Amino acid sequence: MKAVLFNLGYFMKEAYKTIRLNLLSNIFSFIGTVLIFFIFALVITGWNISGRLVSMLKEEAEISAYFDDYNLDEDGKAGLLKRIEETEGVLEVNLVSREEAYTRMENVLGNEAGILELFDDNPFEEYIEIRIHLDETERITDSIKNIPGIEYVRDNREILSRIEGMVKTLNMAVYLVTAAVGITTVIIISHMIRQGIYENRFQINTLQLLGASNSFINFPFLIAGFLMVLGGGILASVLIVIAINMGFGQLSGTIPFIPLPPRNELIEHVVVVIMAASAVLGLGGSIFGLSSIKEDTEH
Amino acid sequence: MIGIKEVTLTYKDGTTALKDINLEIGTGELVYITGPSGSGKTSLLKLLMGIEYPTEGEVFVLGQKIAREEKRKIRKLRRNIGPVFQDFRLIKGRTALENVMMGIRLLGFPPGKMRTEAINALEKVGLGHKCSSPVENLSWGESQRVAIARAIVRKPALILADEPTGNLDHDNAVSILNLLTSLKDRNTTVLITTHATHLIENHNEAVFVRMEGGRITLEQGGRSK
Repeated sequence: MKAVLFNLGYFMKEAYKTIRLNLLSNIFSFIGTVLIFFIFALVITGWNISGRLVSMLKEEAEISAYFDDYNLDEDGKAGLLKRIEETEGVLEVNLVSREEAYTRMENVLGNEAGILELFDDNPFEEYIEIRIHLDETERITDSIKNIPGIEYVRDNREILSRIEGMVKTLNMAVYLVTAAVGITTVIIISHMIRQGIYENRFQINTLQLLGASNSFINFPFLIAGFLMVLGGGILASVLIVIAINMGFGQLSGTIPFIPLPPRNELIEHVVVVIMAASAVLGLGGSIFGLSSIKEDTEH
Repeated sequence: MIGIKEVTLTYKDGTTALKDINLEIGTGELVYITGPSGSGKTSLLKLLMGIEYPTEGEVFVLGQKIAREEKRKIRKLRRNIGPVFQDFRLIKGRTALENVMMGIRLLGFPPGKMRTEAINALEKVGLGHKCSSPVENLSWGESQRVAIARAIVRKPALILADEPTGNLDHDNAVSILNLLTSLKDRNTTVLITTHATHLIENHNEAVFVRMEGGRITLEQGGRSK
């Protein structure tokens, strides 16, 4: 341990020399690492945004219950609202009048709202707007359908299940990209270390003959591998911060209805993930690289 | 210090380099191992360094058994040995000082002391003025001196020098031998292989071991048998 502490400067110098020894090859390895981590950061960013979108949609999940509004008096409507409100999994119940339904449609249509003037009377019915837990849509819908007085229940299950399907696909992509990043980084670093050891085999052999332990000999290679991957992670983080800043500017202008997470929170999350992944993979990749060649140089 | 009992060394290709070797070397002795090329001198040093393992018999160096299953302990043992290799094994692209410091890096010296000790060792071999010279700029004799400085800087209990005078002119060879033999005074055991017998004839205090065809044919001087 003392030998390691007293030689930290030497190890850093040796690590630098190892990187410089195959400079061109190591530059390409570094660029490869940066690109891999940048792609990883992009996927993490997309995952983060879509995750937020889904959780917001889940919070906003609504179904609409229709009843015979011509033959039901105010007490009957109040009784219906109360029974629906008491159903398990229902978060909020709201009666939407025919006028409000008309106004909402006007807002949705915007400039095209003139089309509604073609109707002589208000074509919309009074209905009950019910906010629910998305995961319980099916059970709640069935319960409300069975309440006397309810004629029809409309849910957005199809749209929501499509969104959920997209999220599942994205989750799968994240797992695959994470695995790809891990494997590729380990291979790149392992190759770099193998090359470094091959180039330094004479020096390594001399150190072994002088009594150096494997950990003493391996330490500079471990540092070199760790720094290469960590450097790649840092540069990828800088690039993703630039990309997020640019992307936010464009998205908020062109697709304003996408619920983006707070920019700084997103940047912080992505940078932490990338830096942690690069540190772990740098260390793990270097250890893997060293363990795979240990037998080759043993003397 | 060194105990070799009934040792035979056969390489993987079937060549027998050492046959029925018996040798005892005590602390503070100066031992010259002589013999023609291929007589087994270097193989004997390789055994003592733990680079090769005996096919038969037993080898003990500083109390450590030399055997394949003792690899890790042999690495530790080497920290007490100052090796001077026939081909020097200096690291190119490094200065003489950096090469000498390599000899003590793994011994846990603080950086300042490491540097001072390395400079002192270079001064001892007469190369104090060459500290910052890259080793590829040094002459054959100077390289040999740097290799010796790297060995003595560790203040080892055992110095193993393989043909340290090979390819050196007469004056340089004498000077290198005098340097190595002077280390014996510090109670350090010095074992030198050489085929230049004319250079060591006057070293009366030494033990002479002659090897031929992988066998010890003569052992005399010091505590002659």
